[in-house]
Amino acid sequence: VSATGYGWLVLAFPVAGMLIVSLGWRVLPGRLPGWIASAAILGSFLASLGMLNEVDAEAHVDSAWTYAATGDFVADMSILVDPLSVFMCLVVSGVSFLIHVYSVAYMGGDRGYARYFAYLNYFVFSMLLLVLAANLLLLIVGWAFVGAASYLLISYWYRRTTATYAGIKAFVMNVIGDVGLVIAAFLLFNETGALDYAGVFGGAEEAFSQNDGTLVAACLLILVGAFAKSAQLPLHTWLPDAMEGPTPVSALIHAATMVTAGVYLIARTFPLFELAPTAADVSAIIGTATLVFAATVALVVTDLKRVIAYSTISQIGYMVLGVSIAAYGAGLFHLMTHAFFKALLFMGAGSVIGAMAGAQNLDRMGGFRRAMPFTFITFTIGALALAGFPIMSGFFSKDEILAYAIERGSGFVVLAVVGYIAAFLTAFYAFRMVFRVFFGDPVPEARELEGGHVAHGEPMNPMTGEPEDTDVGFPGPEHHVAERSWPMKFAMGILAVLAVIGGVVGVPALTDTLEHFLEPTFEESRYHDVHPSDGAEWAGLAAGGLVSFAAIALAYVMFVRRAGVTLRLRDRFGAVHDFLSHKWYFDELYDALFVHPFTRAGSFGRRVIETDFVQGFIVGGATGIVRVGTSFARAIQTGYLRAYALLLLLGVAALALYFLLASS
Amino acid sequence: MTIHLSIVLFLPLAAGLVGAFLPRGMARWAVLAGTIAVLAYAIAMLADFESGGGLQYVTDDEWIAELGIRYQLGIDGLNLFMVVLTAVSWAPCTLVAAFREHDRPKLFFFNLALGETAVLGAFMAQDLALFIVFFDLMLVPFYFMIGGWGTGERVRATTKFVIYTLAGSLLMLAAAIALGVLSTPDGGEISFSLAQLEQRSVSEGTQHWIVLLFALAFFVKAPLFPLHGWVPETYRASPIVTIALLSAVLSKVGVYGFLRIVLPVMPEGSQHWQELFIVMAVFSILYGSVLAFSQDNVRLVVAYSSIAQLGFIVLGIFALDDKGAQGAVFQMLNHGVVVVGLFLVIGVIAARAGGRESLSELGGMAFRAPVLAAMFLILTFATLAMPGSANFVGEILILFGAFEDKFVYGLVASVGVVLAAVYMIRVFQRTMHNRVEPAVQSREIDRLSLAAVAPLVAVVVALGLYPHFVVERTETATTAAIEQARNASHPEVSVIK
Repeated sequence: VSATGYGWLVLAFPVAGMLIVSLGWRVLPGRLPGWIASAAILGSFLASLGMLNEVDAEAHVDSAWTYAATGDFVADMSILVDPLSVFMCLVVSGVSFLIHVYSVAYMGGDRGYARYFAYLNYFVFSMLLLVLAANLLLLIVGWAFVGAASYLLISYWYRRTTATYAGIKAFVMNVIGDVGLVIAAFLLFNETGALDYAGVFGGAEEAFSQNDGTLVAACLLILVGAFAKSAQLPLHTWLPDAMEGPTPVSALIHAATMVTAGVYLIARTFPLFELAPTAADVSAIIGTATLVFAATVALVVTDLKRVIAYSTISQIGYMVLGVSIAAYGAGLFHLMTHAFFKALLFMGAGSVIGAMAGAQNLDRMGGFRRAMPFTFITFTIGALALAGFPIMSGFFSKDEILAYAIERGSGFVVLAVVGYIAAFLTAFYAFRMVFRVFFGDPVPEARELEGGHVAHGEPMNPMTGEPEDTDVGFPGPEHHVAERSWPMKFAMGILAVLAVIGGVVGVPALTDTLEHFLEPTFEESRYHDVHPSDGAEWAGLAAGGLVSFAAIALAYVMFVRRAGVTLRLRDRFGAVHDFLSHKWYFDELYDALFVHPFTRAGSFGRRVIETDFVQGFIVGGATGIVRVGTSFARAIQTGYLRAYALLLLLGVAALALYFLLASS
Repeated sequence: MTIHLSIVLFLPLAAGLVGAFLPRGMARWAVLAGTIAVLAYAIAMLADFESGGGLQYVTDDEWIAELGIRYQLGIDGLNLFMVVLTAVSWAPCTLVAAFREHDRPKLFFFNLALGETAVLGAFMAQDLALFIVFFDLMLVPFYFMIGGWGTGERVRATTKFVIYTLAGSLLMLAAAIALGVLSTPDGGEISFSLAQLEQRSVSEGTQHWIVLLFALAFFVKAPLFPLHGWVPETYRASPIVTIALLSAVLSKVGVYGFLRIVLPVMPEGSQHWQELFIVMAVFSILYGSVLAFSQDNVRLVVAYSSIAQLGFIVLGIFALDDKGAQGAVFQMLNHGVVVVGLFLVIGVIAARAGGRESLSELGGMAFRAPVLAAMFLILTFATLAMPGSANFVGEILILFGAFEDKFVYGLVASVGVVLAAVYMIRVFQRTMHNRVEPAVQSREIDRLSLAAVAPLVAVVVALGLYPHFVVERTETATTAAIEQARNASHPEVSVIK
């Protein structure tokens, strides 16, 4: 089987899984839909390994059929297999498989079990299509499909109004990104006459000079797409709300895979960004701004899942910074390690939320260390990796990005410094979670679990506190914790191992495996030879390790040793706390800027334009004419419509006669 | 295989007439058989059609020789899929109607059948006078169906509908006669044959006002802002089957008229109004989208969304660019197929909610009706032109065509893409999601509606997988249709050619 042959298999498995699960939802018993869906993704992962085996320095393109072609607009149903797409397929299908297995147990009691797995398979297919697409049109298709899958899974518990509104918000933000991509595709197509990557990149070299205005515009529009999907400023507001979806969904889509699509896209289109360094710089600056912004919010948010969500926004900021400063290997390295430890953190959070009978508020949690030893250990591993603790995977990947930034010099050093400051905040909020959830006095739910059974509370919406009937959403009649469910343990165990050792593919000077593997894709990069020295990288690692250590120590003091000091701080700096806990007021700003004007325009249109102008003026005018006609018609004793029709006929006849006479 | 267009054309009418002589309960089956036969015929034609083969299956007979009017029918890439759309829309609508009880069923089904013949005639006519005959004939059965079997304020609705469309028709009739007469060369015979008219010419000044009169008629039919005054009441009062066909198929006759008649016959005149029509189209996109968002009645959401969608189609046509026109022709098909499905689903939803169609009273329908929700979801995604759907391919071709020459208008139109996502996903959420409202019964879609909707959904999916099937068949005719008008707007290009 050729590399592209495996590529088609990678796509075929999840489609087959989705079809089987969705068409057989009525007949497949028990957990079978979950296992079928998991097997499909395992198939994709194995096929990805097949691709890994076959791939070489060449980019292989294979076209199945003509998708749409008219004139010079040509788009095939074609896939591109090169080291970058193979790498992405491996990460996506690998992590997805583990999350599927986790979900088999976690979603066990849910009444929409088969629907859930059909959506999940559909998502994986879409994501793989996105990374395998060989032209911009197909990329946009995959791009929109993952957005749709995300919408469906956020709204999965669709009887919760909060969930359905969060879904809509995510969907609309993503569509804004899609439109950005469409316009970018046009600008590129217009100048290069191509839609496939090879044609666009090759044509761009000839069509555009360095920092050509059109190219910069196209790149900025690509960034609109990338930032909408990757929840970067200012298009990030949907991601925290996306936490309304089931927790494994947060792990898969809203942490490990879909939200990193923007990073992939910037890496994929690197020849354009290198030709438009202005756009690349904008991207690097926004990435840095996002990473520090989101880290500050994560310090104060009290919803466990939303802390991790802001952490995701922040971490993707690092990746965006990486790929924007031509540190492609480093950015993608962090994408991979982040997928491991962030998925792990969400799985741990899911387990804790299970133990809390659905409650997500940190203020209500505490002391789960003894009740949930497995969750505690794996969650802590995830937090250590997130914090960039020495030898953990995140330690190598994050610091490599910052080392590249320093190597680029000048203004980029500032970005690196901000990156280190945010790294401090990151380690601090990561351990804020660990200490507040697992340390301190056990809450009643923790005691109950220690006593041997999982707590049951009144079903309610975790965001609003509204009571719900049990069918609405999690937790159903049964809910699950990792300690009692081997599929959850299996998935978390593997991810924990990967979160620890994942850095092994990128140890400076020693391995650098990943960077070498990806090299053929980025060979043409003009920054190919820019590389921080091994000494600089190790110095950076030392600094990063120290920062992480200090932040964890501070968190320990503030949350364990002198618990309560945070409350005093909050009272002392109330304004700062308000500002942060309102997430810098972005939602309020957008409501005022877009949502309200839009709805107001709608009601203005309905009340004023429709009634006064269209109905009043135009219809009124027309009926006025008719009324004149009818009064005339009444005089000749007929119903007005008939008279009207008669008049029309007479008029037509007169006109026809006139023209006939005029022509002869 | 020989295809006789006259057979296709008069099959529905014949079925309707047969039905009129059958016992009361049997008329529906005759008409249903007729629409299914037309569908089979259309599919055969699709298989037989030669891409890029010019006008095919031509029928050309004398009709009214003194006035130069001929009975001339033919199929090319422009109307192939419009005929298919007509057949694909009529069959499921007739099926759904056939299982419903009507007063005076014979008359209703006769009107339904007559409507199909009229629409097919308008699409297949290659003679301007014949086109107008069928264009006006369409009005009759729809007038009777809305007035006779509608609900609510149907009298008011029909009055408005008739006034608007008749006024448009009258203007177009006058314009057509003027065109035929004024284009007749000295000593020549008057002719309304479109092929003839393309050869002849009228002065540019005359073209200006003739195009405007045609445009008024077509924009009323489409409809485009601000000529949509008849829309809200008509949509609200019509029987669901009627409104499905009106929105899906009849709305396309007008925009089709631009490509078939106005652009090829009066290229300079079309070029003259290009800017105005594009502005109207773009404004309709925005206006329709915003209004669709603010409606409470599901039908009206679709009504205003149709205004926006037709805005896209007009934008594609008057971008006077190959890609734009291709997108417009494709979108005419896509919008039609999707809208029929949407209205049939709305019919099911309303039946589950005791006839309620107001969003504020609906909700939670998906709970025990996953199949219904899945069908509706696919149609929703297609309507909002999600990438992966054929509607997206149509829309992106339109936008690319618009960007090419009218970049700013294209940009404004792309806002409409976002707005479409907002109003359609809102409808899906408010009907299928959230809690089950007290008035709503969450029950699965019935077999009959499933039999009508599922094939449409299958067509939507198939078009999304392989849009090139349509694009390659329409390309030659569409490019030819706009060629002259495009060259009129780029004089330097025509010099080179």
